[in-house]
Amino acid sequence: MSTKNPLTREAFIYLAGQAGLDTSDPHLEELFPYVQSVLASIESLQEIDVAGTEPDMAFIPLPQLPPLPQQSSTEQH
Amino acid sequence: MDPLELCYLSAGDLSRLIKTREVSPVEVVDAHLERISNTDGVLNSFITLLPEQARTAARRAENEIQGGNYRGPLHGVPVGLKDLFNTAGVRTTSGSRIFDSFVPDQDCTVAARFLQAGAILLGKLNMHPFAYGPTGENEDYGHMHNPWNPELITGGSSGGSGSATAAGQCTITMGSDTGGSVRIPAALCGIVGLKPTYGLVSRHGLTPLSWSLDHPGPMVRSVEDAALALNAIAGHDPNDVASAQVSVPDYTSALTGDVQGLRIGIPREYLQAPLDPEVSQAFQQAIGVLEEMGATVTEVDFPMFQHAQAISGAILMAEASAYHRELLAANADRLYPPVRLRLEAGLFITSADYLKAQQARSLFNREVRQLLEEVDLLAGPTEPVTAPRILASEVQAGEQIIGTTAALTQFTRPYNITGSPAISVPCGFSEAGLPIGLQLAGKPFDEITVLRAAHAYEQATDWHRRRPQI
Repeated sequence: MSTKNPLTREAFIYLAGQAGLDTSDPHLEELFPYVQSVLASIESLQEIDVAGTEPDMAFIPLPQLPPLPQQSSTEQH
Repeated sequence: MDPLELCYLSAGDLSRLIKTREVSPVEVVDAHLERISNTDGVLNSFITLLPEQARTAARRAENEIQGGNYRGPLHGVPVGLKDLFNTAGVRTTSGSRIFDSFVPDQDCTVAARFLQAGAILLGKLNMHPFAYGPTGENEDYGHMHNPWNPELITGGSSGGSGSATAAGQCTITMGSDTGGSVRIPAALCGIVGLKPTYGLVSRHGLTPLSWSLDHPGPMVRSVEDAALALNAIAGHDPNDVASAQVSVPDYTSALTGDVQGLRIGIPREYLQAPLDPEVSQAFQQAIGVLEEMGATVTEVDFPMFQHAQAISGAILMAEASAYHRELLAANADRLYPPVRLRLEAGLFITSADYLKAQQARSLFNREVRQLLEEVDLLAGPTEPVTAPRILASEVQAGEQIIGTTAALTQFTRPYNITGSPAISVPCGFSEAGLPIGLQLAGKPFDEITVLRAAHAYEQATDWHRRRPQI
């Protein structure tokens, strides 16, 4: 949901309903600005060039470090 | 021996006295129960205290030792577990009244290994609800209070573990660390907190917060005790899918007191981040001590540090909301409001954001790996500030005012992303008498080097010997 365009109230209500939240709950008045602030806090992810990088889905670090792969200009983007 | 002195002995010293029968486990447990009785009205470290169970276990330990069946350095040593470690027959609340009557029928692996080593469980420790916050606030069971000034937070989420250890209520406690929850309360309460490498200590039987960021770790008053605790709990567990199959050394072999030739890197970015001047000064002095002892200190570049909060935040929030989705649907009104907000907000992190964060995590890990080929350890302050007031939403770090959560996690989150071992050791006190922590992080599964440097620093200073006046 991270975007340079701030989350609109209409989009927030729609997404809240899709997420299973009660869209008539007055609590959403508090949640809306909080969600905006959370999305702003992860906005910097968009600045990171992750082209050619697979998500690290095996989280156990390697005890023996293999040689670092060379960054290649021919990697697919 | 004076009961208060017994409560402040390290596990190492206590075990030597227990082994030689100069002190009985019954005497030790009674002293700690008295200490808890005298202090927990202020500190609120415990959610569940187990006096009769502990006394029974102490008598059993005494009989075993008298019968020549000494199990090892944790035999008869009092421990406390954060209340998200499942304990057979003992309620495990995860810090929420929603689970006030949840009684697991099995021990988590960490609890089982402590009990196998002969340690005595004194009780279950207070925590930020569901471990989802770095302050140690809890409306259900009461906020945790810092032994150095009870008007201040302990730090969290393992706040009860921090206060119990610092105040001599337990010799060893366990916390869990997803964005700093072992190291934050360790730094703010003036004790040692070790976040071992991801996969080294089993997460089996712990309530998850974020599967890929959660690390159980010991909270103690000396580096030797961190090594002793790690000796008991580290090692492969087939019940944890993330458990690593690595050989486990004797971690006490790291306690040489020698850092000659060790290469320590200080990320420049740490020094440019919001930082209280007293913390900065204490950190620089600590680095000076290590340098005088023979370590080589250099500044290094860690540009990905600026993205740590975004990477960790996206992953943590998405994973926490996925795990707790049913709880949120059924019990939203009973959740601690800030935790409810975080869980609901996590539902707005898209799969694309989550995977982008995991891609960025790969780059982050690559950069830290490169740094740890240039140096053996990365050093920094554990916390940019000393303990803030309870419920303070913002703190002043140097000239900047920033959100409390962002401030408390700014130096700790990077090593949850990488899974590398990181330790916080006391490195000074502010003019107001509040503890300051030094963080050292190393290569994956190289706890030996982390412990070696932390121990050498500890032995050259006396910050860890100070006691709060409570």
